[in-house]
Amino acid sequence: MDLMAISKTGRRGSALARLAITAAMIPAVVPALAQAQDAHRGGTMHLMAVASGGTLDPQINYTAQFWQLYSATYDGLVAFKKADGPESNTVVPDLAAEMPTVSADGKTYTFTLRKGVKFSNGDDVTTEDVVASLRRIFKVSSPTSGSFYNGIVGAEDCLSSPADCTLEGGVIADGTANTVTINLVAADPEFLFKLSAPHASILPKGTASKDMGNTPIPGTGTYMFTSYDANNSLTMERNPHFVEWSVDAQPEGYADTIEYKFGGTEESAVNAVMNGQADWSFDPLPADRLAELSTNATDQLHVHAQSAWWYAPMNVNISPFNDVRARQALNYAVDRNALVSVFGGPALAQPVCQILPPDFPGHEDSCIYTQDPGDTWSAPDMDKARALVAESGTKGEKVNVVTEDNAASRGVGTYLQSVLSDLGYDATVQTVSGDIQFTYIQNTNNNVQISVTQWYMDYPAASNFLNVLFGCGSFHPGSDSSINIAGFCDEEIDARMKAAMTLGATDPEAANAEWAKIDNAVMEKAPAVPLFTPRRLDLLSERVGNFEYSSLFNWLIAKSWVQ
Amino acid sequence: MLTIFLSRLLRMVIVMLGISVITFLIFFATPGSDPAARIAGRNAAPETIAAVRHDFGLDRPLYVQYGLMMDRLFITRDLTSFANRGQKIVPTIMSAAPATLSLVAGAAILWMALGATTGIIAAAFRNRLPDKILMGASMMAVAMPVFWVGEMINLVTQSRLHDTWAFSWVPPLGYVPLTSDPAGWFFALVFPWICLALMYIGLYGRMLRTGIIETYQEDYIRTARSKGLSARRVLLKHATRTAIIPIVIMFGMDFGVLVGGAAVLTEVVFGINGVGRLTYQALKALDLPMIMATVLYASFFVVVANAIVDVLCVMIDPRMRQK
Repeated sequence: MDLMAISKTGRRGSALARLAITAAMIPAVVPALAQAQDAHRGGTMHLMAVASGGTLDPQINYTAQFWQLYSATYDGLVAFKKADGPESNTVVPDLAAEMPTVSADGKTYTFTLRKGVKFSNGDDVTTEDVVASLRRIFKVSSPTSGSFYNGIVGAEDCLSSPADCTLEGGVIADGTANTVTINLVAADPEFLFKLSAPHASILPKGTASKDMGNTPIPGTGTYMFTSYDANNSLTMERNPHFVEWSVDAQPEGYADTIEYKFGGTEESAVNAVMNGQADWSFDPLPADRLAELSTNATDQLHVHAQSAWWYAPMNVNISPFNDVRARQALNYAVDRNALVSVFGGPALAQPVCQILPPDFPGHEDSCIYTQDPGDTWSAPDMDKARALVAESGTKGEKVNVVTEDNAASRGVGTYLQSVLSDLGYDATVQTVSGDIQFTYIQNTNNNVQISVTQWYMDYPAASNFLNVLFGCGSFHPGSDSSINIAGFCDEEIDARMKAAMTLGATDPEAANAEWAKIDNAVMEKAPAVPLFTPRRLDLLSERVGNFEYSSLFNWLIAKSWVQ
Repeated sequence: MLTIFLSRLLRMVIVMLGISVITFLIFFATPGSDPAARIAGRNAAPETIAAVRHDFGLDRPLYVQYGLMMDRLFITRDLTSFANRGQKIVPTIMSAAPATLSLVAGAAILWMALGATTGIIAAAFRNRLPDKILMGASMMAVAMPVFWVGEMINLVTQSRLHDTWAFSWVPPLGYVPLTSDPAGWFFALVFPWICLALMYIGLYGRMLRTGIIETYQEDYIRTARSKGLSARRVLLKHATRTAIIPIVIMFGMDFGVLVGGAAVLTEVVFGINGVGRLTYQALKALDLPMIMATVLYASFFVVVANAIVDVLCVMIDPRMRQK
């Protein structure tokens, strides 16, 4: 952890130095820039989505759709930098005045609270609010309470009886010194990432300890929610008590009002954006409009790689994929280029044959399942695949591919079915409603052999893919929440992952090198078929200026203007 | 009169009770229906799921869960969704109902007026050109799926010809509440009305034409003609009046079903967030409280619409009055 804190300071130092030089060189530009920005202030931004993202409670909601909005409405002690590109993966102080001081053993974090920040209801943000908010994570049974914040001292008691949660000894406020100290059971190099997630937003201490549902909770961000009807619309307006304290953590928004409408179809959303009736739509663009849009609206399209992967987990505990050769065979046989076309072409996806996405911490190019094993995937090796299937003696067995009911997932599933048939299996595809499929494939009682699913990062750390998806700790037989869908538990690899996480606290670079090796080791056991890395395509109306893309929150709405 | 009303009410309660019990049981018999993990969220710890299960009462016996759900749906009216945590069911349906009612009521006026006109004209010109044109067009209207017609209308009015004089007045897709902007409400609904009514115009037109032609064989029509009544009077006053009764009965069913949520395809295509779309989304997410509420809501309308139709039939057909 120490080294990470140092590297952060280092980055901040160099940024400051650059800023100083720039400021000295061109003082005259600054007022002009400020004026230009003022000219862009105001107006209403119109957003669309087919459906809403559920509860508005930032400590409960776990959807990319609303996390995007929380980035401009709520703040944690620290936050992911609101910046374009890879910089958006760095953590900056937010409601804390500066990065916390961390004890030598990496277990104690001391935050000094920023002075003068107010909630949108006019109340000052105090250390008591911080304590109450961290307790509330457990009291409302936040989805990540047991996975992100269980390392805080006292969290175990809070998880077993949420209503009486005090986090005693874990979170200590000092009102006079204006500091909050957080004690961990063990050093956690990812703790600041976890504190930057919206689930650790600081809310007023009086907020009820229950899911607030459609009722907006006052926040500290540049915008505040003013109305929400999950079936129709959501409105955000400027927070009247907001004064910009850090452009990195919470930049002031340009538009006065943001209106979000729910309903219709992806198709109609594209029309609305092209007609100027809306500025942006959350849902993926329909693949059949891409050709037209890429010629007619080139300037309005923005493509970004995502820290995510589409993959096909194979149940390593039931036939035929309890034989490692059958799993490897499918990995050799899958034509990633064909899958990229199924998903909408190279603009929307990139072939992949390892777990960590490109440009992700710990990622090193490597592909063992291809024609000529090396750095990248080139072509499927059907001969090897057929030989492996023959060796495994699983030929002719029944295999059922479980997919979601959307076009992309079904397409991938049908493709996998054809490959499995080619390999000599008796393959079928079963389509389940997208809202149900994700929990259905996790439960071992449903005996799912292979499925098509995706994983998007929660924060930029290799363990968020490898340890979460393939660690023994994420495998809960018989439960709907068993994110290790393959049921893969290799004790040697699991021990290496734990060691790499510990190493990350002292030497992040060595740890990332180890994660790259772990990625390879997991792929050798082939508990899943990596399919492709999806890309995000955003279509904006002609009115919108300044598109910035954060790898966590997608488009940073507050940083764009509409006039 | 009061006894008729009370017996109808009793029948409605029994029907709705049966439907709710069946819906409830089917839900729990569906594989993968346990909502606890979905409510708890992605990668939730086992302790979190247990806490959620307890909070939502999912760890209690089924009959207790059923009782609690009915209590929260009808008595305290604070039942919340399983999929959209914190969303209250009753207010959500109440706010979606006006959109569906506006859509279906407008379309119903359109299809009754145009359907009747089509049927009467076709019958009057039986086997001649106007009849053939109208019946051909009706056949097409019945055959075209409503979602396709809707998308074609949108393609023309929202995309390809949106910027021309003909369609520049068409507002963005979506519903505008009647109370906030009556003109906006009307313009936003013009195409959804046409789209939804099209099939029913064709269907009702064909039915009515056949009905009138059959009625022409009746003795009382011959009597009316022999008494020297004009052909127009025979057609409108005598033949149509009898032939329209099956249409009215069918209308009651269709109207009730559509208000109850069957207009979902039109709603989705035109971005109208009505009861149909709610039902569809609830089914997709296996959201039991919402499914329960929308199913009961739909059955209520079917029962009520049937009762109203019975009264209407008595008014139209004097023979029923004398019984």
